[in-house]
Amino acid sequence: MNSTEPGVGLVTGAASGIGAAIAKLLAERGWRVAGLDLDSSATELSLQADVTDRTAVQAAVDRVAEELGPPGLLITAAGVYRQLPVEDIDDDTWRRMLAIHLGGAANACWAALPGMLARGEGTIVTISSELALAGGGNDAHYVAAKGAILGFTRSLGLELAPRGVRVNSVAPGPTDTPLIAADSPSRAPDYLATLPLGRLVTPDEVARTVLYLVEEGTYFAGQTISPNAGAAI
Amino acid sequence: MRLEGKTALVSGGGQGLGRAIALRLAAEGARVAVNDRTPSEKVDEVVEQTKGVAAIADVSDPDAVNRMVAEVEERLGNLDVLVANHAYMTMAPFVEHDPDDWWRNVDVNLSGTFFLIRAVLPGMRRRGGGRIAIIASEFGVVGWANATAYAASKAGLISMTKTLGRELGPENILVNAIAPGIMDTPQLDVDADDAGVSPEEIRRRYAAESPIGRIGRPEEIAALVAFLASDGAGALVGQILQPNGGTTRGPG
Repeated sequence: MNSTEPGVGLVTGAASGIGAAIAKLLAERGWRVAGLDLDSSATELSLQADVTDRTAVQAAVDRVAEELGPPGLLITAAGVYRQLPVEDIDDDTWRRMLAIHLGGAANACWAALPGMLARGEGTIVTISSELALAGGGNDAHYVAAKGAILGFTRSLGLELAPRGVRVNSVAPGPTDTPLIAADSPSRAPDYLATLPLGRLVTPDEVARTVLYLVEEGTYFAGQTISPNAGAAI
Repeated sequence: MRLEGKTALVSGGGQGLGRAIALRLAAEGARVAVNDRTPSEKVDEVVEQTKGVAAIADVSDPDAVNRMVAEVEERLGNLDVLVANHAYMTMAPFVEHDPDDWWRNVDVNLSGTFFLIRAVLPGMRRRGGGRIAIIASEFGVVGWANATAYAASKAGLISMTKTLGRELGPENILVNAIAPGIMDTPQLDVDADDAGVSPEEIRRRYAAESPIGRIGRPEEIAALVAFLASDGAGALVGQILQPNGGTTRGPG
C-alpha cells in the first residue's frame, strides 16, 4: 500500500489552526503539501479558493496535479465556528455552515478521487469535531454539519475500501486554535475543569493523530478517531 | 524511537497480537515485559527478540498478577505502558455453553484486565502518568452469534475503558481501547478447525467478508498501540478505536 509513503498531499483549511498544523507535520514527514484556503498558507503550493465552490476546488486540484503531481492524500480541515442560539440561525447561516463543512469535504473528495481511484490507492482524512459525537450548545448548525461529515466519512470509507482508498475522520475536541476566540467559554477555567484532562487539545496532537492514520492506519475504513481530552467518551 | 526510556508490560505477549505489539514497542525503544500464562519457547523467543523480560502469570489470578507486576517493576522500574492484550475465547450457543467455561471468558478477559490495571496503577501514579491500551474486540461492539461470553467480556472492557478514561484522565493516566476486526492470528486456526475447513480457507472467507478485502495484520494493531503510547496521542482518552477493515456492520 504505497499511499502511506510520502507523496503529494492536499490540505484544505491549511492557512491556520488544525489545518496548518497538519500541513506542517506532513511536510516535515516528507510530503509535498499543497494548501487550499481562503487565505494564503505556509505550504509548498498555496492555493486560495473557497471550498464551497466546486469548480474552484476542481481547478485547485488540477493545479496541484500539474505542479506537484496528482494528490494521493487529501485532508479536509477547512471550517468555521460561531456559536448561535438555534432561533438565531437563519437560512443563509445554516446553509453556509453545511456548504463549508460537508460541501467543502465533498467538493475536495469529488475533485481528488478520480485520480486516486484510477491509481487504485489514496488516503482521505476528514476533520470533524468531538461536538458531533457528544453534542454542544448554541451550535446546532455547526454540529449538524460536523455530524454530516461523520456519516459521509463512514459511507465513503465503506464504499471505497474495496477500491484501495482509505477514508477516515479525526474528530478533535476543543483545540487551542484561532477558531476558539480568546474570550470563548471553551477557554474558561470552569469549562476546562470539566474535561478529564483539564486542558485544551493542542493542534499538534490532532496533527499526530492524522499522521498516524496516514502513515500506519491501514486497517481503518470509515472510522473516526477523536483526540478530545475526554470531552466525548 | 518514540518510546526511548519507557517501560511496558504486554499481557498475552507470546503470540499473535501480543507478540507483534511487544516487538513494535521494543523497536520504538521501550523495555518490554512479556506476560503469558505459562513459560514457553514462544515467550522466550519474544523476550529474546525484544531484549525484554518474561513475566509469567495467569492474569485471572489476582495474587499472581500482583507478584508478577512487583517482579517486573523490580527489574524495569515503574511501568509507563500497560497493554492488556491477553484473551480467552470459546464459543457455544448461549444455553448450551458450559457455565464454568462461560465464566472463564469473563474471568480472563475482563477480570484479568482489572487485576492488571490495579497492579500497575501505583507505579504509574509514582511516575505521574501512564498509558493503558486495552485490546477489546469488534465482537464487543457489534456482538457475535454464539459468543455471548467473549462478547460480554469485551463489551465490559469497552465500558471499563470509558469509565477509567474519565476516572484516571485527571491523573494523566490515559486509558483507551482497540476493538480490532478479524486479525491474522493463531485464533483463526481454531476457527478453521471449528468450521472444518483449512486455515487458508477460513482466511479467504474472512477476507471476502471485509470491505477492505483482507484480514488485518497484527503489525497494524501494534502500530496503533505504539501511537497510543507516544506523546502525540496525549489527547486520546477513553476512546474505542476500531481498525476493522470496515466490517463494523457485521458479516453479510
